[in-house]
Amino acid sequence: MNDAEEKTSKPFDPLEPLRAMRDAYLDAMAKTMVEAVNSEAYAQATGAMLEGYLTASAPMRETLDKSMIQALQQLSLPSRQEVAALAERFTNVEMRLDDMDAKLDALREFMHPNGSASKSDASQRADAPATPVTKPGPGTTASANRSKARRRFVRRGAGPPKR
Amino acid sequence: MEPDVASLNAFVDLEQRLQTFTRVLTTKAPIAQTSKELVWALNKAKLYRYTPVVPAKDRYPIPLLLIFAIMNRPSILDLRPGHSFVEFMVGCGYDLYLLDWGAPGFEDRHMNLDDYALEYLPRAVRKVKAISGSREFSMLGWCIGAILTTIYAAMRPDDGLRNLLLLTAPLDFSNRNGITFARWTDEKYFNVDTILDAFGNMPGEMIDYGAKALKPVENYISNYCKLWDNLDDPEAVEAWHAMNTWVTDIIPMAGGAYRELIVELYRHNRLMKNELVVRGERVDLRRIRASLLTVIAAGDHITPPCQSEAILGKVGSRDKELYRIPGGHIGIMAGSAAPRTTWPHIEQWLSARSR
Repeated sequence: MNDAEEKTSKPFDPLEPLRAMRDAYLDAMAKTMVEAVNSEAYAQATGAMLEGYLTASAPMRETLDKSMIQALQQLSLPSRQEVAALAERFTNVEMRLDDMDAKLDALREFMHPNGSASKSDASQRADAPATPVTKPGPGTTASANRSKARRRFVRRGAGPPKR
Repeated sequence: MEPDVASLNAFVDLEQRLQTFTRVLTTKAPIAQTSKELVWALNKAKLYRYTPVVPAKDRYPIPLLLIFAIMNRPSILDLRPGHSFVEFMVGCGYDLYLLDWGAPGFEDRHMNLDDYALEYLPRAVRKVKAISGSREFSMLGWCIGAILTTIYAAMRPDDGLRNLLLLTAPLDFSNRNGITFARWTDEKYFNVDTILDAFGNMPGEMIDYGAKALKPVENYISNYCKLWDNLDDPEAVEAWHAMNTWVTDIIPMAGGAYRELIVELYRHNRLMKNELVVRGERVDLRRIRASLLTVIAAGDHITPPCQSEAILGKVGSRDKELYRIPGGHIGIMAGSAAPRTTWPHIEQWLSARSR
């Protein structure tokens, strides 16, 4: 086989002859399954299965939880509930700090109505240096910059498969 | 007998295809790569500001805050370079912010929808306004994020929300026959408390199963056939890889919020009836005055169009638009057609209202 033939020849795919048949089968199967999952019977069956599993596993989960709490106590380690309570307290502290930050911002704005809300915020502000994708020329306007970016995106096409 | 060169080449090619197939299924693609800076954090929530690429004088003065669902990663908005809504909007000159809710832990199992909408969201909004220096802002909510933004917009109408964009918003649950999830979570069959008593939060695996089981053949079989068929197309493979990375990155949903979603919304449709009470106050949709764009995916099986249509008649906004587009729940924003259809429409709508 010469180079030209090699380039144009299709790669070997063992599923190729079966593809049309496969697609037709999958389409039919998809329609049937969508109808099935939309039925009351499916909702009832999955609900019953889930309930059954959770009810059956509950005693084991409870036993495991109790023995784990005892083991952690023996090792002088905090339980899951205790760590969770601690995390909740941390979140509360974070919220109080955020409240204070907001009050400080309000105070600053009251004192300097035309100034920035906060010093730290000001450094992140809209006037922070930008990283231009394209160098704006002498006559470049804002809208020209923006439409250039739009065109660039529309040109790149192909995307991921549908979910 | 000499070996047939063509057959050998075919086997080499098959080996390469199998290697690519395995790589894509077993590795994570680099996603969410647009440059950003963490500007605020509270518990698991993080607010990011995307690094502007348009000079300050050319940018829109009204910042845009993106709010995604609480049971998926928001990286779908910034899937991969060259195919990212975030990159597109930053390139168009928006001062862009993303609120990432993070993955709730056991300690967050009591968090409700109102904690998200009225505790976290207003704080993030305050930060956006402080950083941007603007008293007004725009907000885009997608999926459950649209529920949160709607509650926020109704409860805080004077916070400076100028534009509200709702993408595939599950707000109206009145057409129970048209919503598969409503049937599955009916109180006759589904006991939400049994699950939450067992796990605390709603496990991500169960949410993922629920989403995939709506179209089982497509999600469990056809999806992989499509990958196999396109293995010779590097662009399609990378797109599939990025999407698969996002789809498989599953997180749980806070127990309290899940219970409210099922009981208050799916079963009793309280938000659309103006009966939802949060923190002792009724959520009245008529209080929403911001300009409203509702984007509906015509082929959405997760949030059927009937769930997003009625909102336009319920809000107090004078400037409102419904934009219907072919595609699925995720496809309208992350599919191959999105950069030519959904993104430009959103940008044009917002552009006229962001000066």
